[in-house]
Amino acid sequence: MEIYLPIAQMSVHWLAILAMGFAVGFLSGVFGIGGGFLLTPLLIFYGIPPGVAVATTASQVSGVTFSGVLAHWKRRTVDFKMGGVMMVAGLFGTAFGVWLFSVFRRMGQAEFAVSSSYVVLLGTVGGIMLNESVRTWRAQRRGQSASLRRSGQHNWIHGLPLKMRFRQSRLYISAIPPVVLGFAVGIFSGLLGVGGAFIMVPVMIYLLRMPTNVVVGTSLFQVLFVTAVATILHAVDNHTVDIVLALILILGGVFGVQYGVRAGAKLRGEQLRFLLALLVLAVAARLFYEMAMRPADLYSLSSGAP
Amino acid sequence: MKRAALALLLLAAPAFGAESLTSGLSQDSVEITSNYNGTDIIVFGAIEEPGEGKIGDVVVIVRGPDTLMTVRRKDRIAGIWMNDARARVVVPSYYFVSATKPLAEIASRDTLSRYEVGISHLHADPEASDGDPGPYVAALVRAQARSGLYRESPSGVEWMSRTLFRARVPVPASVPPGSYNVEVYLFHQGDVVSAQSWPLYIDQTGFERRLFDFAGSSPLLYGVSTVLMAVLLGWGSTFFFRRRA
Repeated sequence: MEIYLPIAQMSVHWLAILAMGFAVGFLSGVFGIGGGFLLTPLLIFYGIPPGVAVATTASQVSGVTFSGVLAHWKRRTVDFKMGGVMMVAGLFGTAFGVWLFSVFRRMGQAEFAVSSSYVVLLGTVGGIMLNESVRTWRAQRRGQSASLRRSGQHNWIHGLPLKMRFRQSRLYISAIPPVVLGFAVGIFSGLLGVGGAFIMVPVMIYLLRMPTNVVVGTSLFQVLFVTAVATILHAVDNHTVDIVLALILILGGVFGVQYGVRAGAKLRGEQLRFLLALLVLAVAARLFYEMAMRPADLYSLSSGAP
Repeated sequence: MKRAALALLLLAAPAFGAESLTSGLSQDSVEITSNYNGTDIIVFGAIEEPGEGKIGDVVVIVRGPDTLMTVRRKDRIAGIWMNDARARVVVPSYYFVSATKPLAEIASRDTLSRYEVGISHLHADPEASDGDPGPYVAALVRAQARSGLYRESPSGVEWMSRTLFRARVPVPASVPPGSYNVEVYLFHQGDVVSAQSWPLYIDQTGFERRLFDFAGSSPLLYGVSTVLMAVLLGWGSTFFFRRRA
């Protein structure tokens, strides 16, 4: 059955949208990510205008992550202080990202900005993850336990000023890295509609050396707030949030997550990271292919002056 | 200018005397509701002619509100295809033309152009950043035709009897809301002898309309509501699954 989207001003098959929400929700449950980086390209591919896809994905991610945050809160695996510092920086980053998006849109380069950011971001993160998971795998096969460097060991991060104590994470580090990370992820949220967990989680583990058990809860906490703010800013600045589209996506998403979490529990950590890396690289490759190939129609149409 | 020509013609019409036109629409408004998936409207009418002479040709045109469109051309820059040059055009957001026979057989190019009959005779008045606007306009027409918004149906006006005609106008799902105009022309020997024009309103109604207005009038509240809805759904789903587990 078709349903008319009041903001996108087009009609869509609601079952197709529900299935997209479910599939992305499932993957986000399996991998512990928001799934925005999969949903935005999927929606654009379906024919939803890029602006609406980005803004509405942000609202879907905040809905899907909320139940996750609740679960982690109950288990006390959210570092609210760390999350709070990153969140405040993240809000500024998001505002900057939303502003950047409207600038690109006026230049007619919204599509290019979104695609190229995706290719660079996903290519880098996917490459690092693939490399890391393969190395862990090999190390295990050789019978060694993978030696992740533990907190307590010092790296350049510990030389920075403005130190703060993060009790939940058992860390005493400078506030600068979380602020920079929060800000950077915020930009991507505003520009791409993604939550950014897939960038944040590796940085928190490998650079900030946070204990793994609080990493997921804390990143979800940050993602929830940043995507919520991105949604509101897009609604105000660009009028591109489609509440009907969001409703269907979230309905599919929240159910997908529940099944995804169960499926994810059956896989081992490095297997999960390996599969996620392949998925991330596949999306990056597909987007790059589209940018590099001669398009079927060189001309594109948009209404209004932008 | 075109409107003025039409008005003048309507005033002058009785002077032609011989043939005149009466027409109507099956509905004067189209309401876009939540399950709107395109519809058809019917334009019908009759020719009133005193004698037994040859009946003229009927042309039916439906125009959407004029909008500013930007057409962009991708060029290969450093191996990547990205938007480069652009053109801005003011064109009807929807255009449908149908007639009792191919347009070229009805009137001369000049006449067709004067009344903007036919997609190729639209006065687009384009302004391109790299000089030649021709390819941009062609691309626009191509894209609009693909989404069903520009359509030419050369013999879509059917004769029901010797003087009664009927045309089916498709209003696709992607149609932009607004105030449309239906024009019915009667051509005789290459000239317009009678014409009528009807307004047609296409608008979102009910829930969709209220959401659209809400998003436009209080965007902050709309954004906050969307987030609240998202969070409540996320929260609600945990209860649903806890009960089942």
